[in-house]
Amino acid sequence: MVETFPIEVTVNGRRRTLEVAGHHSLLDVIRDDLGLTGAKECCLVGECGACTVMMDGRTVDSCLVLAVEVDGAELTTVEGLATDGKLAPIQEAFLDKGAVQCGFCIPGQLMSAQALLAEHEHPTLAEVQEGMAGNLCRCGCYQQITDAILAVAEGER
Amino acid sequence: MHTFAYARPASLSEAVALLDAHGPDARVLAGGTDLIVRLRDGSAAPSIVIDVKRIAELRPGIREVDGRVVIGATTVMTDVAADPLVRRHFPALAEAAAVVGSVQIRNRATLAGNICNASPAADTAPPLLVHGASVVAEGPGGTRRIPVDELFVRSGVTTLARGELVIAIELPIPARRIASVHVRRTRRRGHDLASVTLTCGVDAAGITRLAYGSVGPRPVLVTDDSGVLVDPAASDEAKAPILEAMFAAASPSPRSMRAGPEYRLAMLRVLGRRALAEAIDRLAAGE
Amino acid sequence: MSGPRTGEGTGERIGERIGGSPARVGGVGRVTGAQQYLADLPSADALHAKLVTLDCARARIVSVDASAALQLAGVHLVMTAGDLPQPVPRFGPQFEDRPVLAVGETRYHGEPVALVVADTRELAERAAALVRVEHEVLPPVFTIAGALAADAPLVQDPSIRKPGDPLARTNVLHEHRVGWGDVDAAAAEDGLVIVENRYSFPMVTHFAIEPHAFMAAPDRDGVAVWSTIQHPNWLQKLVATVLGMPLSKVRVYAPDPGGGFGGKQHAKLEPAVVFAALKLGRPVRLVLTLEETFQAVRRAACESRVRTGFHPDGRIAFCDIEADYLIGAYADIADRVVGKGSYPAAGPYNVPAVRILARSILSHTTPSTAFRGFGNPQVNWAVESNLDEGALALGMDRLEIRLRNLARRGDAFIPFDTPADGDWQQAVRLAAERIGWGSPLAVGHGRGIALGIKSGPTTGLSYSTVRLLGDGSVIVFAGTSDMGQGARTVFAQIAAQELGAPLDWVTVVMGDTAIVPYDQQTSASRSTVLMGNSVLMACRSIQAQLRAMAARLHGVDEAQVSVDKGVVHVGDRELTVLEVLKPGLGKLGGELTGLGEVRKDAEPDHPLGGAPAFFEFNCTAIEAEVDQETGDVTLVKHVTVSDVGKALNPLQVRTQDEGAAIMGLGHTLMEHYIYDEAGRIRNLGAIDYRIPTSMDLPLWLHGEIVENEDGPGPYGSKGMSEGALLCVASAVGAAVREAIGVPIRDLPLTPERVWRAIHDTAAPTGGGEARS
Repeated sequence: MVETFPIEVTVNGRRRTLEVAGHHSLLDVIRDDLGLTGAKECCLVGECGACTVMMDGRTVDSCLVLAVEVDGAELTTVEGLATDGKLAPIQEAFLDKGAVQCGFCIPGQLMSAQALLAEHEHPTLAEVQEGMAGNLCRCGCYQQITDAILAVAEGER
Repeated sequence: MHTFAYARPASLSEAVALLDAHGPDARVLAGGTDLIVRLRDGSAAPSIVIDVKRIAELRPGIREVDGRVVIGATTVMTDVAADPLVRRHFPALAEAAAVVGSVQIRNRATLAGNICNASPAADTAPPLLVHGASVVAEGPGGTRRIPVDELFVRSGVTTLARGELVIAIELPIPARRIASVHVRRTRRRGHDLASVTLTCGVDAAGITRLAYGSVGPRPVLVTDDSGVLVDPAASDEAKAPILEAMFAAASPSPRSMRAGPEYRLAMLRVLGRRALAEAIDRLAAGE
Repeated sequence: MSGPRTGEGTGERIGERIGGSPARVGGVGRVTGAQQYLADLPSADALHAKLVTLDCARARIVSVDASAALQLAGVHLVMTAGDLPQPVPRFGPQFEDRPVLAVGETRYHGEPVALVVADTRELAERAAALVRVEHEVLPPVFTIAGALAADAPLVQDPSIRKPGDPLARTNVLHEHRVGWGDVDAAAAEDGLVIVENRYSFPMVTHFAIEPHAFMAAPDRDGVAVWSTIQHPNWLQKLVATVLGMPLSKVRVYAPDPGGGFGGKQHAKLEPAVVFAALKLGRPVRLVLTLEETFQAVRRAACESRVRTGFHPDGRIAFCDIEADYLIGAYADIADRVVGKGSYPAAGPYNVPAVRILARSILSHTTPSTAFRGFGNPQVNWAVESNLDEGALALGMDRLEIRLRNLARRGDAFIPFDTPADGDWQQAVRLAAERIGWGSPLAVGHGRGIALGIKSGPTTGLSYSTVRLLGDGSVIVFAGTSDMGQGARTVFAQIAAQELGAPLDWVTVVMGDTAIVPYDQQTSASRSTVLMGNSVLMACRSIQAQLRAMAARLHGVDEAQVSVDKGVVHVGDRELTVLEVLKPGLGKLGGELTGLGEVRKDAEPDHPLGGAPAFFEFNCTAIEAEVDQETGDVTLVKHVTVSDVGKALNPLQVRTQDEGAAIMGLGHTLMEHYIYDEAGRIRNLGAIDYRIPTSMDLPLWLHGEIVENEDGPGPYGSKGMSEGALLCVASAVGAAVREAIGVPIRDLPLTPERVWRAIHDTAAPTGGGEARS
């Protein structure tokens, strides 16, 4: 019988109590236990960013965080960006600027974009590119993703 | 991942006791960006993982204490890179911390963890060497300070004794400011493990400190106090043999996937020259 | 969202129509996390599978001991080839060579030996690690030289080859010979400048961010299969054949893949998962890791020798190409890649004498498969680079030499094939203008310009169904796979345009063989043209029914009724579709249905089985700066111009082109598999296999298009999405060459390789000469 640990975590504004195994990652628990499948599994080594979520206001690769570590933390996933069914400005901007192709990397991209905008009110192009470098997009939407972030920063939305 | 016991000690003594009890069967979990990869691929198979993030003595934060800048062991790279004290006194360290992985990695990876991994390619190692950093280690025998230059043995191996835990990193604020710069070679502009890392620091007394990594089993620190390297009147021909001598300790592995040994040695020289010039400029600019 | 208002005419909703760029259909789900990719599908009752593979390139399987694995509670099955029907079924789109699980021998690093099925993924992983495969490592071949050596072990059992195949006892799977004119006679002419060089293109992998995933479950007396597959109907046929079931009992669900790029076209592990599911009587799911995906699919590497002869005025006299493609242990679609990719290798030029010999060479490596560009990028790199060498030898401008030889619209530049189908000069001039060709260059900078051509689909069959429902909303059933290229949106736009529905009143259903009619495949940039025309045809059929309705309702002749852009013209009156449909359907209500069938039949006498429906043509121009001390290449400017006929959705077209350009930068600057001496892949996974990040973009990258409405697709469109990748390497290589003064003939142009070319003047890369 695998030892489990109780954790209390706020996910997208909702307080949750979970029992998690010590060796399960945050990504595992978000997807399998909470049913939030926006965060994706891809490289599992912290390179691709498809699993990016926000933890206590900072983006992390959830594949490199053990679920037990998030006890007491506040998490935001892509499912928590829209409020009352209304898309967040960054989500609208991604759609507007054609930043979504296959879409698999997009939840992670959105989390990093949101965090970047919280950190830099008026980011330069270089700051955007550097801030987003931890999110790979094989479809190659980087320019459109950048356009979307800059558009939100400039208040186009 | 294999299963393991998970402990989250609330006190330093409890953590030390656990580490001492389990020895090599225990792994310390700080940021996890290295450990969790290893847990998944099986290259680390501890029976217990000790999460040190709740221990008060290791708490994140950067403070000036008695002429030293003290960095708590669980301070993450993002905060090291942004810290005004670090940027003012140890600019190469801020630069190095800013290129460890991506934003997501830097939000979790700790400076202490990076040091204790003892990867020869660790970007933070050269700046710490140049700036004469030490780690504060707590163990069953008490507290001791270990200069970083005496900490690295080879990849994955440090001189930490059984049961010892790094609780802080200390960098002395020198009487004579060291203007430093960190440079590296990678395969792409996006975040990447370096195939050569190098920090150069110069001070007004003409002492040049060079530390470089990823070209041998551990990062190397060499110092030149002839003053020639920072002398504006000295020619490139005069500087070249001194620099050459400083690179003599480099022995890059022929097996690396990132770059071949000949290229790395050549880049060491290019980076050394460029970093030296930049450091001299920074010294002059009074940054 | 309100419906169509009475009196709403063509002026409304222009942004949603053809030529507009409405938001991607399916986009909202992708930005909210609601979109369900295969690994996201609820699978509460599914068992989980894990592959057992060996850490070597090639081995003889002696025995498999599953006892320790089976002892774990919750482990249901350890399936090996011995548990399958005998002889073990083999499959493949070209040769039925790939066994469902390895039989007797593993032939590449990562070939599955067994499939473990357990209650959870974690348990399956743990059990897989406990399976003991006693094996004898055998010497592999994993280079062209190794595969062609006289004593090289045969990768493929000769008995699988076609009877009488003279190459059966070699690792050469096939020789493709194409040509016209007399190359030898041309080469003997006086006064020619002849340039001959060797080039190489590396092994790279698709690295879609979504790893491959599969699921199967018994479905009453049949089977349901879920896959990230790009060709659902092809998979359906394969499963039905392997199981001996009628097609009607095999249901394939194909959720929108998270990127495909060709790597998800053909079946890999579905048959194994199907057998496991049927054996256990329960759903079984297998999600590959990224590392397993790297081991499953890749692009063929290529070594080529190109000899090009030029008249003093720059006209190409002949082009002689030998291209050896290193394909994997099983053919998959790789031989087609070689044949089709090499076919237009001489380029979009009028060349009187051409000889192409392209060989597909088997090796103990990951099976290569379709990958954006389909064999063209490899030879483009060689032929375009050699063209530049010729220009340099002649002292001629590299843009000028291309324009001088470039086929004009209607030229039969490949005899007996589709003639040049665009004003390609226009694209080239536009690219040249945008890059500032001929303007002064800063020191350390260089410019390159290259042309890329790819044959579109040579055969095809796309059915679609469109239903115009009683309230004016529309459902389109189209079997294309939307893996990011935006097919869903384009089909919705067509239906919206033709039937006058607002875009968000159009639903597009894909990816279910039980309810979506047959589509041959999603490949070769065909879907806008073939399926698009099919959807258009279905809409036109509905329009015909509306005309009949309107004629009946208003007591006029059908000839007086027309339907255009969703407006019904009855004589002088303009009515909305709904104003005809509602009264036309009457009290019982109902709907109108249209069927579309677009067929491109095979031409058996054509070397490719058919002439292409269109060509993808692209001109890429690059300005690069090289740091001579480190070899770093900075792309200052990257211009890419594609000839697309008509951009049905300009934003989607631009993002596809820029995306293709960025993907091309991958194999140009950083991507390659690294093998060890034993033929194992060393850089499995994302840490040491580098692809472009947001920081690796050119300083300026812009995709532009030429639209002459001269394509065979709806509204004059052509297929696109591969063009902008084809000649990236060639253009970058040319720019680097100008910047450093030394040619580099091997990819990728890593900083180390560029540095070596600059500093290693005693030993130039490649092997070549120019003589006149």
